[in-house]
Amino acid sequence: MRRSVAAVLIVLAKELRDALRDRRTLAAVLVSSVLMGPLVLLAISGLVASLESRAEQREVYLSGLAHAPTLRNYLERQTYAVKEAPADFEAQLRRSTFHDPVVLVPEDFEAALVRGDVPVVEVVSDSANQRSQASTARIERLLGGFSRERALLSLALRGVSAQILEPMEIEDRDLASTQTRATRITGMLPYFVMMAVLYGALNAALDTTAGERERGSLEPLLMNPAERWALVAGKWGAVACVSMLIAVLSCLSFLPGQWVLRSDTLQAMFQYGPREAGLFILLLLPLAAALAAVLMAVAIRSRTFKEAQASSTIVVLAISLLPLVNVFDLGGEAPWHLWAPALAQNTLMTRVLKGEALEWSQVAIPLGVCAVLTAAGVWYVSRQLHQAAVK
Amino acid sequence: MIEVRSLAKSFPVQGRGLAGWRRSRASAGAAAVRAGDGERRVHAVVDVGFDAPDGRITGLLGPNGAGKTTTLRMLAALIAPDAGTMRVDGIDVVARPRDVLARMGVLSDSRGLYPRLTARENIVYYGALQGMARDAAEARAEELARMFEMAPLLDRRTAGFSQGERMKTALARALVHDPSNIVLDEPTNGLDVLATRALRESLRWLRTPEGGSKCIVFSTHIMQEVERLCDDVVVVAHGRTVATGTVDELLAKTDERDFEEAFVKLAFAAERDGAGALS
Repeated sequence: MRRSVAAVLIVLAKELRDALRDRRTLAAVLVSSVLMGPLVLLAISGLVASLESRAEQREVYLSGLAHAPTLRNYLERQTYAVKEAPADFEAQLRRSTFHDPVVLVPEDFEAALVRGDVPVVEVVSDSANQRSQASTARIERLLGGFSRERALLSLALRGVSAQILEPMEIEDRDLASTQTRATRITGMLPYFVMMAVLYGALNAALDTTAGERERGSLEPLLMNPAERWALVAGKWGAVACVSMLIAVLSCLSFLPGQWVLRSDTLQAMFQYGPREAGLFILLLLPLAAALAAVLMAVAIRSRTFKEAQASSTIVVLAISLLPLVNVFDLGGEAPWHLWAPALAQNTLMTRVLKGEALEWSQVAIPLGVCAVLTAAGVWYVSRQLHQAAVK
Repeated sequence: MIEVRSLAKSFPVQGRGLAGWRRSRASAGAAAVRAGDGERRVHAVVDVGFDAPDGRITGLLGPNGAGKTTTLRMLAALIAPDAGTMRVDGIDVVARPRDVLARMGVLSDSRGLYPRLTARENIVYYGALQGMARDAAEARAEELARMFEMAPLLDRRTAGFSQGERMKTALARALVHDPSNIVLDEPTNGLDVLATRALRESLRWLRTPEGGSKCIVFSTHIMQEVERLCDDVVVVAHGRTVATGTVDELLAKTDERDFEEAFVKLAFAAERDGAGALS
């Protein structure tokens, strides 16, 4: 037994050294996992900041500004800068080169207003142009204010109380905490982290199984007096180590990533400190171990690295698609979510981001699933090892 | 000392129908296929037996697909035999495979190295797996490098090695634990004249008492190898041992002067026997 444990450590050390020598692959994976945190946050904060600045700008673009002096007067009284829209604003909106909705005023606007007719004002935006879409509601509220003012003035002239128009008042009350609201934006972070772990494990897992077969080094390896399970355990340990290293690095990368947040609102909403990073790592380590074993089990049947890449696609696809159940919020959270690998981790990491407490029973289910997957994968690889060597 | 008695091994035919049957016929060469009600099987080894004593080089000579590689893989406990016994220094291979592997150095058909590790690291890794201390494995790597004249290669990564350099590294790796039994599967494949000569010299030395009186078994399909190197020859064809003896004994037996002619005669006889194996 002591000999077998020694063999596990020998294989582990060799495989780790081998993996660390594969500089190019390792560098690609490490750089992408370490830079991912800051980059994702930068992108999100860029988007949020531009939305915020647009909201603060208080600008309104009108097409046909000359036809609507009354409207202009109202808008300027609301401290908005009123500007004439460019002539080809429709084309620009479609191309996403113009980022504000445009109010289209008809030629007979003033006359119709005076006559008491109801002139039609169009608010033009492109729903594929996200930024213009974001300000549409604000502009519509503004125009609504103009309508209301006109109505109130007419009523007041006739001596009618303004309350007749609003027999009921509506107030919003949002139950979500700041952090919960933030997960609408930061909800994809767990997904990115999991992808880093998956791709970290992928290369190493394929190299120690199918790669070893392709090189013709598996057969001589088995001619050493070491137990099969010890060889496989060593290999699995090395793959899991690489994958766990990437899990830890990518989780930690969000800590300095916070500094790059340009938006104060987002910084306030995105609570990711050492506690969150620790919980993320805690949730991801078992997943890294299970992914290593499962990918090895899939790859051991392949004769070449390339063949293994093809057959591991199904695992990669499953791990990439399962968390989307959360992202697209298909039917809310269901108890089975905790039993599916990747989806469970995604669910729990999202809870961490929302600032909710994790119960041990919830953590235990995915942990158990990962342990079973790991054991099954290692057992299967040990069973297939001899057959794989001679075929 | 290696003893092999009436070894047999068959594999199920891969694929279905005629196409699968043809494929396996082609790939297994001379192997026989049993067509019956049950599963079709390729009989790679039908009855192979030989004795390889210490201090001698025993050559396993046979055409491609004769069952040499399968026999050696069974000897290395990589696949289990259907019938027969194999003993290495008196230890049964099937019952105690790991004890056998500790006493045997095998250079198998596939001899892949780890390209990102140096030659030394490749050799020391196997030493460690054989249970050697790190210092001992390092020292042994140096010693083997001197023996195979590959000292300058030791600290280079094996990625850019030539066939000969790879072969030397693989051989050193197989011998790192100084085994008393050495099994080589077609070791001269892909080697040039100089490398082949160097290998031959090394094997001759390993056979001598100074070299450790090793028991050396090596398979080949090249006549000259056998003539120049082997003390004993085991002719294998169609999965059977068809003749054993020294080169001279085999020449006398077949009444030939040319060893190649003698071999063809023996193999041709086996061809007719082989037809009988198709049952």
